Amino acid sequence: MTAKDSGGTKFLQVKNLIIHYETDNGVVEAVNNISFEMNRGETLSLVGETGAGKTTTALGILSLVPNPPGKVIGGEIILDGENLLKKNAPQMRKIRGNKISMIFQDPMTSLNPIETVGAQIAEVIRLHNKVSRAEAIQRACDMLEKVGIPAERYTDFPHQFSGGMKQRVVIAIALACSPELLICDEPTSALDVTIQAQVLDTMRQLKDEFQTSMLMITHDLGVVAETSDNVAVMYAGEIVEYGTLRQVFKDTRHPYTRALFDSLPDIGKDVERLAPIKGMTPDPSNLPACCSFYNRCSHRTERCAQIDPKAYDAGDGHLVKCLLAGGEVREP
Amino acid sequence: MSGLLEVKNLKKYYETNRGTLHAVDDVSFSVEKGETLGVVGESGCGKSTLGQAVIHLRKPTDGKIFFQGEDISAPSSKRLHELRRHMQIIFQDPFSSLNPRMTVKQIIGEPLRIYKVSKDKAELEGRVAKLMETVGLASRFANTYPHELDGGRRQRIGIARALALNPSFIVCDEPVSALDVSIQAQVLNLMQDLQEMLNLTYIFITHDLSVVKHISDHIIVMYLGVVVERCSSKELFDAPLHPYTKALLSAIPHSDIDVPKERILLKGELSSPIEPPPGCRFAKRCIYATEKCSQDSPEMEEARPGHMAACHNIRLVNDK
Repeated sequence: MTAKDSGGTKFLQVKNLIIHYETDNGVVEAVNNISFEMNRGETLSLVGETGAGKTTTALGILSLVPNPPGKVIGGEIILDGENLLKKNAPQMRKIRGNKISMIFQDPMTSLNPIETVGAQIAEVIRLHNKVSRAEAIQRACDMLEKVGIPAERYTDFPHQFSGGMKQRVVIAIALACSPELLICDEPTSALDVTIQAQVLDTMRQLKDEFQTSMLMITHDLGVVAETSDNVAVMYAGEIVEYGTLRQVFKDTRHPYTRALFDSLPDIGKDVERLAPIKGMTPDPSNLPACCSFYNRCSHRTERCAQIDPKAYDAGDGHLVKCLLAGGEVREP
Repeated sequence: MSGLLEVKNLKKYYETNRGTLHAVDDVSFSVEKGETLGVVGESGCGKSTLGQAVIHLRKPTDGKIFFQGEDISAPSSKRLHELRRHMQIIFQDPFSSLNPRMTVKQIIGEPLRIYKVSKDKAELEGRVAKLMETVGLASRFANTYPHELDGGRRQRIGIARALALNPSFIVCDEPVSALDVSIQAQVLNLMQDLQEMLNLTYIFITHDLSVVKHISDHIIVMYLGVVVERCSSKELFDAPLHPYTKALLSAIPHSDIDVPKERILLKGELSSPIEPPPGCRFAKRCIYATEKCSQDSPEMEEARPGHMAACHNIRLVNDK
């Protein structure tokens, strides 16, 4: 699977990843056979609604899927030539926070309330590097300054910060060991737009400075447009459309992606009524055997009820998991 | 008095340990019958407090509220009980605003029971069924509990409950913020359909600017408890005047990748609404701020026909 092939080996390759949650009420098929890859310094966005499997994918990469009930059923996650799924727990601990870092959605709950923010940054540095306490503190102060917080606030506690500043502290922790891969799970959803703009700006600068690859998880198509090189649209645990930002946003092929764009109120357009997507996402513990979007699709044909479509290449690595991908579904 | 609802110099202060918190400070506006007034602003700017003060869910500290020409600034509890029939609210979080121990039928029927609208049980059930149909809830959900339903359906319960007494005016406090985009569109369309069908008047509170543009006729922009700009929805997005509104609009991430962006990045963050210093509340973050801005608070002035803004340097900001 290639979105934008620049030759050579990829920095991160996820191949045929399958993750299930085995509960008393049946098996929840959260991630179903997804594949994607990233180059160094590139940003890939995983887009989709609640329950599409975006966060589970991210947790899978970090080996943090809660087990039980979660279980990686199959697939490979290859980072820099090494399969992460073959690593044991101590090896993964060394990788997490060092080579791969994650920024969680909610800055209010992802910081320790009874430790100073500085100590929380220094902790990561001490854990992954052989440095003295004094040097760790110095580096933590530098990180604070980098994300736009004065170093004097090293000894402040999280509750003394506003939401935007807390999220910056989280970013400072995530970037403290200069990770090669940064996973951001809805990093700005909890923030107001003006603060969101500031945080996205900080992230962009730091990404350029450290040459970090970013996996961005979001449901906000505006944020995707501003940050990403490539985009993967997820629906019911599958990637239904995958390509470069331009391919997915300007040459939208999958009916779900199209519908997602249409259901958004657009600042630039005046419409009387929005075009919502009919119905609900399918229950992941009872997925249909055919195309998972069949029930809600306004372009469906009889064939769609019989076949679970494979990903078709619509040109230049633009992958679309739809029988009609040959160009029948286009902007009117 | 014109308009269905008229608010004059409304204030809501809270006493805290650190001083007086000015949640809503001297806010005036009016809403015509059948129209939607959008209230936008970032978290903590007082927009929810404003919505709740207007319908007396919170007692205003000072100011006048007129509803259908009647002064309801300080109603007796008996009068307030009657007024509530006409003024309802839809809350932001469909997960916490519904009693988890009541069934859908009971939740929607509760206002009807309180106001003894129905003669007997059969009539009440009939009305609940009708309400469920109006908001697009299948009748099979009548005996389910809220936790069994998804966010979109739960928000429909909240809407049905608000409609139960045939109100003329509804405060919608971030009704779609907790919903996924595809569901958000369904609920927004429903609210617009209901407005046309029942000639409802909305105050629509949200931080989402694309939603507010879509649904509102007029918009007020709030910053730290004060209104900084007020005009028609179209005018606000075509030609914003206040520096804060300009920055706010420019900060929206846009999904069209071919539209060039000119972003005004604001420095710093919202200052505290506790004992705010004199002068313009936005002065600290404003790139146009002059000495005057930190001394006098600007008044709302009509900068263009029907377009009010509160800024000392309105000409300087827009003369480019």
